[in-house]
Amino acid sequence: MSQTTAKAAAADAGASAALRARTEVARLISYIVIGLGAAFLSLRASTLPTSRWEPLGAGSFPELVFGVLAVLCLIAAVRAVIDIRKAGGANRLGASLGAWLVARRYSFALFGLLVVYLLLLPLGGFSLTTFVFLLIAQLMIAGISKKTLFQSLIAAVIFSVGLNMLFAEVFNVFLPRGVLFAG
Amino acid sequence: MMLDAFLAGAHQVFAFDTLIYMLIGSVAGIVAAAIPGFTVTMAIILTLPLTFTMGPLQGVSVMLSVYVGGYTGGLISAALLGIPGTPSSVATTFDAYPMARGGEPGRALSLGVWSSFFGTVISTIVLIIAAPPLAMIAVKLGPWEYFSLIVFALTIVASLVGNSLMRGLIAGVIGLGLATIGPDPMMGQPRLTFESSILMPGLPFLVVLIGIFAISQLMGELEDHGKGPSSDALIPDVIEFKTWAVMREVLMHPVNLVRSSLIGVFIGALPGAGGSIANLLAYDQAKRSSKNPDEFGKGNPDGVIASEAGNSATAGGGLIPMIALGIPGSAVDAILMAALMVHGISVGPRLIMDNADLAYGMFVAMVVASLMMLVVCVLSMRLFLRVTDIPKQFIVPTVMICCVIGAFALNNRVTDLYLLGAIGLVGYGLKSLDYPLAPLVLGVILGPIAETNLRRALMSDGDWTVFFTRPISAVLLAAALLSVIFSIRSVLKMRKKDRPATDEQDGD
Repeated sequence: MSQTTAKAAAADAGASAALRARTEVARLISYIVIGLGAAFLSLRASTLPTSRWEPLGAGSFPELVFGVLAVLCLIAAVRAVIDIRKAGGANRLGASLGAWLVARRYSFALFGLLVVYLLLLPLGGFSLTTFVFLLIAQLMIAGISKKTLFQSLIAAVIFSVGLNMLFAEVFNVFLPRGVLFAG
Repeated sequence: MMLDAFLAGAHQVFAFDTLIYMLIGSVAGIVAAAIPGFTVTMAIILTLPLTFTMGPLQGVSVMLSVYVGGYTGGLISAALLGIPGTPSSVATTFDAYPMARGGEPGRALSLGVWSSFFGTVISTIVLIIAAPPLAMIAVKLGPWEYFSLIVFALTIVASLVGNSLMRGLIAGVIGLGLATIGPDPMMGQPRLTFESSILMPGLPFLVVLIGIFAISQLMGELEDHGKGPSSDALIPDVIEFKTWAVMREVLMHPVNLVRSSLIGVFIGALPGAGGSIANLLAYDQAKRSSKNPDEFGKGNPDGVIASEAGNSATAGGGLIPMIALGIPGSAVDAILMAALMVHGISVGPRLIMDNADLAYGMFVAMVVASLMMLVVCVLSMRLFLRVTDIPKQFIVPTVMICCVIGAFALNNRVTDLYLLGAIGLVGYGLKSLDYPLAPLVLGVILGPIAETNLRRALMSDGDWTVFFTRPISAVLLAAALLSVIFSIRSVLKMRKKDRPATDEQDGD
């Protein structure tokens, strides 16, 4: 009994070490991406013209900040590599990336919907685009049935046309009317 | 002079329309925080665009009432469902939930509400006493000291928030970097804009804030959607709140109440540390100094008092560095500061001198907000319980629309919305990889202040060593270094502690 428990614990520890290693690989990639971006921006800032009136020009502070960021990312990346090696390397990266994406499919779907919504907003205007966005997003999250369709329709009308009116009348904030309806 | 400012501030806060807006703010804060997964920070972010048309003090008063209400709202789901409504009510679940399960849900809620009220009032008293003299000292600080102070603040934030000092520092510096995009703060020369019209005006703080905090949080809400746990709510039909008896009960624990509130004030005043840390720390201290520590976790009233007084007191504590130094103590204070800046008020040590009525009005508003929270909670607590039943399908998309409106309303620029989408995705990526987001937001707001002071310092004297030879500046830089060394040491210690255990497991 205790042997089984010990084995299970060892397997658990092995699995969590592998998971840690995979998370660390994802972070390592982020350190490299942020670090390279920072190094590029630091170089770019250094080309800004210096000022005649002060020792530091407009480019000095961003050059310093992005330089520090690049160094921090380098240190973090080196430490991440050491940690991954200690944990026995990361295997099955592709599969875990797949699992990561599957667990977050609704999050990314919602984001995709938001991007389309933001692109169409100046064309279709706030009320119409928001109504469509809310309806699709709500049905995506809740699933389609007679009940959810009815509820989502009501909520979508209230928070598209209703919010538009509230902001225009009470707060004097005029949301985009849309090219289609302008004029 | 002080009394005049105090009365002028009070006059504005006690205007009828301000009081009505504050009441709505209180309710909104409580409701928002009662929904598990929605934080006080998000509630305040969404309130900000609604206050643009109000006067500065009116707007800030409304936001303060959302803030104060929000700290209490988390209590409701913590006590009745055992789910902290906000991260700052984690410790509240330890004793309030067992007490509610033990058949006294009304007592648990009333204890929490009264402790929150007294916690806020005590923190406001400390704020009134501490902020003006601190500001008097702060105006004498030169640009060298100010720059060092910001470096110190950022290192503290990085070491206190999140699980990793390194990622905290990286997040903070990313924030500083984001703030450099656009016109430079002294000469207006465009920087790192790549001639893009979207980046030309710089990244507006509110858009960064909404993208980083709200969009990423909303996307996170849908992770693992479909197999989410259902909470087994156990709310009896009749709850007896015993309001006045409980008030006396809270006042019978003065030492615990004052100690927890002072812990809250202190933690709130530290940059980056907020309600979530104060809540746990105050609870821990109450348990340590109790005669019966074994009773904690089983529905001990002292546990509820400590956790709720602790988190609510951070509201006043966080305002101390913001009002006195112009350095926000938390993300929420950064939003309050942004709200004042939108109205063209420069926040810094001169705030209390140049806009005394505003500063003292904020003190009055804190007290009024906590009174309102008390009244609203006592009268309609049962109603708020229904809020926790609203399904995600309505909340997530609707709040997202509110975020879009918030980002748009600042400048009426559609290009800001594209920035919002991009920053939201970056925020979600950083959040998924366990980067703390609060240092980033503080970095964005502190960046221009740091740069202006650094350049001013070197303009008057081009010598870098002055930062180390001026005593206050040197002390602050040394403190920054110490805070980094200290947190590296504690990480190494933790690793050492973990290692023998894992080695053993690996050996098996």
